[in-house]
Amino acid sequence: MAEDQWRNSMIAALRGDARAYRALLLELTPWLRSYYAKRLPMAMVDDAAQEVLMTLHAKRHTYDPAKPFGPWLVAIARYKWIDRLRAMKETLSDEIPEEIAAPDTGESFGSAQTLDALMSRLKPAQAEAIRLVKIEGLTVKEAAERLGQTIALVKVNIHRGLRQMSELAQAEPHEL
Amino acid sequence: MNYESLIDQLAEDLAPVRPRRFWVDVAIMAAIGATELFLIFAIGFANFDMQRIRDQPTVGWRLVSLATISAISGFFALRSFDPTYALKGSVRWIVAIVAVCIAYGVFLGSMPGGWSAIEQRLEWANGIECASHILLLSIPPLIALALLGRRGAPTDMRRTRFLVGLSAAAWGAFAFVFACPFNDPLFIITWYGLSCTLVVLLARHLLPRIARW
Repeated sequence: MAEDQWRNSMIAALRGDARAYRALLLELTPWLRSYYAKRLPMAMVDDAAQEVLMTLHAKRHTYDPAKPFGPWLVAIARYKWIDRLRAMKETLSDEIPEEIAAPDTGESFGSAQTLDALMSRLKPAQAEAIRLVKIEGLTVKEAAERLGQTIALVKVNIHRGLRQMSELAQAEPHEL
Repeated sequence: MNYESLIDQLAEDLAPVRPRRFWVDVAIMAAIGATELFLIFAIGFANFDMQRIRDQPTVGWRLVSLATISAISGFFALRSFDPTYALKGSVRWIVAIVAVCIAYGVFLGSMPGGWSAIEQRLEWANGIECASHILLLSIPPLIALALLGRRGAPTDMRRTRFLVGLSAAAWGAFAFVFACPFNDPLFIITWYGLSCTLVVLLARHLLPRIARW
């Protein structure tokens, strides 16, 4: 479905057309999954995509029918992505949830590309700590042993690195 | 939950909605501001006459500066409730306007007889009373903006909360000018500035809780 059709379906949905709305959400789902597959660990993709579907529903009145649909969709998807990056930072703990260290799949290649783009802008120590704990699923203690750093330093590096990643994502959305 | 059942649920829950309109939000804020002004005159808290304008040369500076800051920051705050609107750059302009307004006040205050006896000119007891009045007068526009933000979808919460706080604070200070008997620019910059800073800090903590989505 082209963007114009998405826009027409959204306008119909604002008027209460459930059929057009359902078709629109079904069309958006693969786009959202692909968007997050390039930006988040695979285990988080479905949660993020479903959260955006619910957000689109709750905030549909903020769509201005006079404007294109794409930028509105991207703005919401991007906001939720940055929110997830922040949440990753805030939930930093020694114990990493199982889903963070989920088995890899083909789609995670795109995710890794965007994460690599963000992480290449960090200090090496920050990028390494994030890679070991947030992507490979090591505990902070294990990462500290592997890096030869203290646990506190690894935590600080992850915290600062994730904060910088969310700032970079917010400041330069078009480059990512 | 799988995608199909979530989408079915959302489609089932669908009801017609009226898209958010920027100018409706502007009208709501203007109505709240006008009501607040009307009320403070109606209860006798404020009074305004030409004699006072002649006696207080800073009244014009205060009214023009605060109205400008409130209107411009309020305009951009309301715009920022649209998820596609990018605030980049606008905050810098507003900070520059605030700086110019303060600089003009400093210029007024540096006139003959100017910066002597600073402590005496600050009049702590009266200053604290002024600041608390401004704080109270800022609350209605602050709450209104926060609720409008909750209905919208601001994507740049850091800048939005600053603009919301600044707009509400400047409006509160603007309304207070009609009741403020003090004329010394040092007193005004200090106490108006302090209360505006407090309102901005309040918005910084309040807005993410109310308008987070």
